[in-house]
Amino acid sequence: MLTLIKIEWLKIKKYPAFWWMLGIVALTYPGVNSMFYYGYEKATNGKEMTNNIAKFLLGNPFSFPESWHSVAYFSSFFILLPSILVIMLVTNEYNFKTHRQNIIDGWSRQQYITSKLFDVLIVSLIVTFVYVLAAAGFGVYADSTSVSQWTAQLQYIPLFLLQTFAQLSIAFLLGYLVKKAFIALGIFLFYYLVIENIAVAYARFKLNDIGRFLPFEISDRIIPAPAFFSRFGKDAKASYDHALSLIPEHVVYTILLTTAIWLICYAVHKRRDL
Amino acid sequence: MQPVLSINGISKSYGSIKALKNVSFDVPEGSVFGILGPNGSGKTTMLSILLDILKADSGTFAWFGQPGSPDTRKKIGSLLETPNFYHYLSAVDNLHITQAISGRGTDADIDHVLEIVKLAERKHSKFSAYSLGMKQRLAIAAALLGNPQVLVFDEPTNGLDPVGIAEIRELIRELAIRGKTIIMASHLLDEVEKVCTHLAILKKGTLLTAGQVDEVLSNEDIVEVSSGDPDHLKSILNEFPGYSSIKQEGKNVRVFFPVGTAKLEEINRFCFEKGITLNLLSVKKKSLETKFFELTND
Repeated sequence: MLTLIKIEWLKIKKYPAFWWMLGIVALTYPGVNSMFYYGYEKATNGKEMTNNIAKFLLGNPFSFPESWHSVAYFSSFFILLPSILVIMLVTNEYNFKTHRQNIIDGWSRQQYITSKLFDVLIVSLIVTFVYVLAAAGFGVYADSTSVSQWTAQLQYIPLFLLQTFAQLSIAFLLGYLVKKAFIALGIFLFYYLVIENIAVAYARFKLNDIGRFLPFEISDRIIPAPAFFSRFGKDAKASYDHALSLIPEHVVYTILLTTAIWLICYAVHKRRDL
Repeated sequence: MQPVLSINGISKSYGSIKALKNVSFDVPEGSVFGILGPNGSGKTTMLSILLDILKADSGTFAWFGQPGSPDTRKKIGSLLETPNFYHYLSAVDNLHITQAISGRGTDADIDHVLEIVKLAERKHSKFSAYSLGMKQRLAIAAALLGNPQVLVFDEPTNGLDPVGIAEIRELIRELAIRGKTIIMASHLLDEVEKVCTHLAILKKGTLLTAGQVDEVLSNEDIVEVSSGDPDHLKSILNEFPGYSSIKQEGKNVRVFFPVGTAKLEEINRFCFEKGITLNLLSVKKKSLETKFFELTND
């Protein structure tokens, strides 16, 4: 196992797109949360009555322990950035025909897929690390008086890791089956940004919310919208509590879907001509 | 002696196209085994199956007496079809990956094989900056890494200039002298004839012949004769007993005999007794090219 990781690291460490993507993720995750944070600051900092109402309604989504949840939620919008990297990592192998050479040189087909699983895991861990740094940073910066509560919602770290790994696994499957980077990226972006969002919204109102079983939505629901969203609207609180109650169920679905994705990759790779 | 590679009844189809039809042959240890065939004859398909890139529809093969596996592939240095490397990595970095996967060779070996293929000066250049010939040399270096006992080369001189082709031919000869088994697919008949000890000829997925080069080429004796009047010579030789066919080619006449039956003294005496003085009398070996076209032409 360690040997596979070392070999994948030899491939990745001098791949310019890896470092570019890492840099973009490292800027985007804190950046997008900063936007929301300064929006919150603007709405609540002031002596007007509206500022106080906003503060009362929103709480502080960026102070501990809520920062673990809020930063995970906002950061998860940008899964498409590491997804591009994952798709590039798998389609590069087809482009360079190194998916063949690795086997010729002595890997089993199973080892090849395992090595790619490690790629996705490595990227997921790095992304999660960036998220943890961002969430911790906001927690400390937003309200130093709440630092003592930093341990309260730590479950969002493994949930974020699971969501990231699950969604990057979908990106991997697409790249693995389609083989061409631009086609895979096109399908991924169109499905992720357009098709599934429309399908989920439609299903929510018309089809008893079965959209929650769509590939990305399954894992999207393990990190529901942060608590302050539940302070708006008549049924928001009930809806938020319901979303929280569904997390364990969706964790199981996410694990099942992700396991199925990798089993498909192993099964296809075992049989297909390379 | 156990063959290095034993192929038994391999078949492979791509949809309705039968790329290989029940192909069987053995590759003896220490041989330089050429696999010949026109484009689309199944050479690369065969090598791809042997290296687990393609799955055979039926049939089996064994390397070193064992069914093909990652462990058997690690013992084989292979260049299949095209040089396959990470474009953004240097030659050295790419060979580190080959080394890590195959377990063949050390850091010192990487420098050594790059010197053999004359890439030492460009070893830190990215693969994407290499010319086609340099890429091919790097693929050969990767195959040589760790000094494997068996080498598989698919069109090893692809993209090389005449000097490069001669160097690779010489390298293959040196490897053969050192007892390596080399399996080589090639279109270049001259190249195969110069270095191979054994060969197999494929056509549209069917194995036409396989064996030692001398055996494959020598299925008849060719005697070339000439005199001042070649037309008359040919008509006289028509009366000579035991030949299988006669052809006139310019001023020379070629007489074909079943293998081992041509006797030059008798031909000379026969002609002399018929009043013809020969100015040429020699046994010609059939070229691989002649044999190849003979076998592969419809």
